[in-house]
Amino acid sequence: MRTGDRVLIAALTGVGIVAVLRLGDWWFRAYHVGQPVLFMLLSLAFWYSVSRIVLGWVNYAAVARPDHRPARRGRTVAIFTTSTPGEPLAMFERTLAACRRVCYPHTTYLLDDTRDPRFRELAERHGAVLLELLDVPGAKAGKINRTLASTTEEFILVLDPDHIPFPEFLDRVMGHFDDERVGFVQVPQAYYNQQRCFTAAGAAEQTYAFYGPGQMGLYGHGACVAIGANCTFRRTALESIGGHGIGLAEDLVTAIRLHAAGWKSVYVPEVVSRGLVPEDLGSFYRQQLKWARGVYEVAFTELPSLARKLHWRQRLSYLTIGTYYLFGVTTPLFLLIPYLFLWTGVQPAAMRFAEFLTVGAPVAIVGIAIYFVVQRWLCDRATERGLHWRGLMLKVACWPIFLAGTALAVMRADIPYIPTAKEAVRGRFLRLAWPQLLLIVLYLVTVARVIGVRTFGTSEGSLELSAEAVWGMIAFATLPVLASAGAIRAAWQARRPPRGAPWDDVVVMAIGGAAE
Amino acid sequence: MRRTHRVAVVLAFVVCGALAVMGLAALGTATEGPLSSALGWLGAATGAIEHGIRDRLAGSPRRESLRWLETYRTSVDRLRSPDITLLGAYDGNVPRTFDGVLELENRLDAPMALIQVYTAWGDKAEQQFPVGLLTAISGLGSVPVVTWEPWLSDFESARHPHLPLRDARDKHGMAAVARGDYDFYIDPWASEAARFQKPFFVRFGHEMNDPYRYPWGPQNNTKEEYIAAWRRVVDRFRAAGATNVVWVWSPHVAYEYWDLYYPGDAYVDWVATGVLNFGPIAQWSRWWTFAEIFGTKYPRLAEFGKPIMVAEFGSLAVGGDRATWYDSALRSIPRDYPATRAILFFHTRDDQTVTYQKVDWTVVGDSAVASTIRGALVSSGLACPGARACAR
Repeated sequence: MRTGDRVLIAALTGVGIVAVLRLGDWWFRAYHVGQPVLFMLLSLAFWYSVSRIVLGWVNYAAVARPDHRPARRGRTVAIFTTSTPGEPLAMFERTLAACRRVCYPHTTYLLDDTRDPRFRELAERHGAVLLELLDVPGAKAGKINRTLASTTEEFILVLDPDHIPFPEFLDRVMGHFDDERVGFVQVPQAYYNQQRCFTAAGAAEQTYAFYGPGQMGLYGHGACVAIGANCTFRRTALESIGGHGIGLAEDLVTAIRLHAAGWKSVYVPEVVSRGLVPEDLGSFYRQQLKWARGVYEVAFTELPSLARKLHWRQRLSYLTIGTYYLFGVTTPLFLLIPYLFLWTGVQPAAMRFAEFLTVGAPVAIVGIAIYFVVQRWLCDRATERGLHWRGLMLKVACWPIFLAGTALAVMRADIPYIPTAKEAVRGRFLRLAWPQLLLIVLYLVTVARVIGVRTFGTSEGSLELSAEAVWGMIAFATLPVLASAGAIRAAWQARRPPRGAPWDDVVVMAIGGAAE
Repeated sequence: MRRTHRVAVVLAFVVCGALAVMGLAALGTATEGPLSSALGWLGAATGAIEHGIRDRLAGSPRRESLRWLETYRTSVDRLRSPDITLLGAYDGNVPRTFDGVLELENRLDAPMALIQVYTAWGDKAEQQFPVGLLTAISGLGSVPVVTWEPWLSDFESARHPHLPLRDARDKHGMAAVARGDYDFYIDPWASEAARFQKPFFVRFGHEMNDPYRYPWGPQNNTKEEYIAAWRRVVDRFRAAGATNVVWVWSPHVAYEYWDLYYPGDAYVDWVATGVLNFGPIAQWSRWWTFAEIFGTKYPRLAEFGKPIMVAEFGSLAVGGDRATWYDSALRSIPRDYPATRAILFFHTRDDQTVTYQKVDWTVVGDSAVASTIRGALVSSGLACPGARACAR
């Protein structure tokens, strides 16, 4: 990281923190307490959101990129990828062909429980070893642990089956293991199907900042995390913690345990593989529910028992990650406030809308400035930079999912079985978009009522004196309605999935190839 | 962690958060800045635009019924020397709503051409130029009367290091105003008043000769200091181009030597006083008629040659016949006190500023008094000022 960039980020963060302090000084005034219980809830939600922004700045302040280390030959490396029933054979065709082309000497293992002979034929054709692992508990991580026991390679790259590795993948990674304390090396997840539809674009946009400046900051704080795919582990590191973690957040759990055991991690912010991002809103929601439910395990289970063994910067980073999905609790509160006021007149906070804008604007401006400044550290700047509005819209749409994940985590309940079978296309739009449609209906009814009441019902003596509060609240209610357009569009597209499979057009020979 | 532990952890965090929030809220105080004032103007404009749209949709706005006032409302010269006597009111529900004023107006069947608001000096948002209130009063078709109270101790010491500490500020505070120590507050207020453009009244530092009431009184200041402060304020407004302000000088005529506080013909547009009959509710008080309170001082008030405003007009119910009080007062005004050009009802339900107990000045709930007032207003001509055609 260049000094100039560091100074710029530090200066912006300084200004931002002053703005946040000013906002706090203004927020917590006794006469701002409206309805006391609601004020308390609103304050918690609001300051949780502000603290996320500040934690982001703290993270960016540590952005670091490791120097490349040449990979010396002679280490033994295994690539693990898994296949399960229902996964399309054609996808593995590309993945295994690409694995074979990875330059650094390695052995590819296909951890298979499909009972489908065509997979064995495919593996043999691409020089991969197929290990049939039937009825192994623990899903992917269980299979990995079982295979660890029956193989001997010093290093294991865990590759998601939809990811197509570039030939130089291991050459960019293996050199970092020269440092004996390094337990795993992570590279970003990048995608090749994000242009195919709104959901894919939005879902991909949500990851850009994380795999760029986000993970680079975590790396700078000594806490870059494993993300389930594209992570290369040192066998002795995995063995020191009793194998790969199991569960919905197996990747995070593995990372925190390795850090607690004293292993270092390295983040290489280079795109050396590309995979798939969900194209269908339903699958996206299912993925988000799994993550939301899983990530809380870090906050509830791993962090309390391992915190003592972690550096404070690692603790802070993991706490930040482990509470990310509280977004699902705060968003409905923010959504509710204008409607509560417009229908009942109850106000959690006795604040003038104009004043809130005055003190809130500096924080927002600094936040947006930093958002764009850190985009210089995106992994693939040319294609990834931008406003990421689709990602933001999908995130706002996800609040019921996050809320469900939070509730399940607090109650320590499992995710209920959600059928993934090919649902009838008819009715799918309503099934996916009903929360947004409901919000729009509520909004329109509310606006119509306000106009009616204020035209014919409100006394003239009160009209102008209440205008600022009422129209300010309507403005506040309009933002999420605009944001819901994204989810509605995604749900509409989900009625008719994109034509053909995303990998149909992928030519393995044309992907990557810098090391050829 | 087991389920009970998780729930407990979550609850513990909520409780700690609640305590932190309440603690921080208790520590807070006030500040205000220029951007928020700009947004205040935006909010006022929103209200005015909405009001205009509604007038077209629903029709029959109040402004329509006050059309006869338009020539006065838009001309500061006509307001400086009006040829008619205007009615007005302050209502206790302000600044939440003006409905109380409108209700009074309906019950008395007489137009409240003036609407009075009270605002204090200080750092808080509601102590800045009240553009929202003034715009709303204009939207109703009335003229605003702002009673502007220089509570010097409302400024925070931390934000104004050049000022003495709060306790020490009131002593010779008017001298400090005259020196320019408070120009930081006067100047922005004045330029916003100029930006408002429409004429309105400012009754600054009222009852300055009452030694028991307000910190700008003679217990803290000499009359020379008060006059110097008044002139400073008016000069700053003129410098800011706020020529739309009509200056109302308003002593408490029950105390002697009130006329010595007069800042001069060049600095005063109207003279005013309050006429409130408290009845026998306090030791210092008895049932006084309007003639006893106002009539005895009227000749001296009239000598200034300015229009006269009865800025706070009212009687309590205890200790006499309130209907008779209003009746004789209103009938006597055009007859005996012809220089009186404005009468502002003091109309609030729970006034405790003077007596340490809540007293009720309202008349809308008392139909006998209200109909007596209505009759007196009609027969004295006060209900039909100017070209306004009376209903009957």
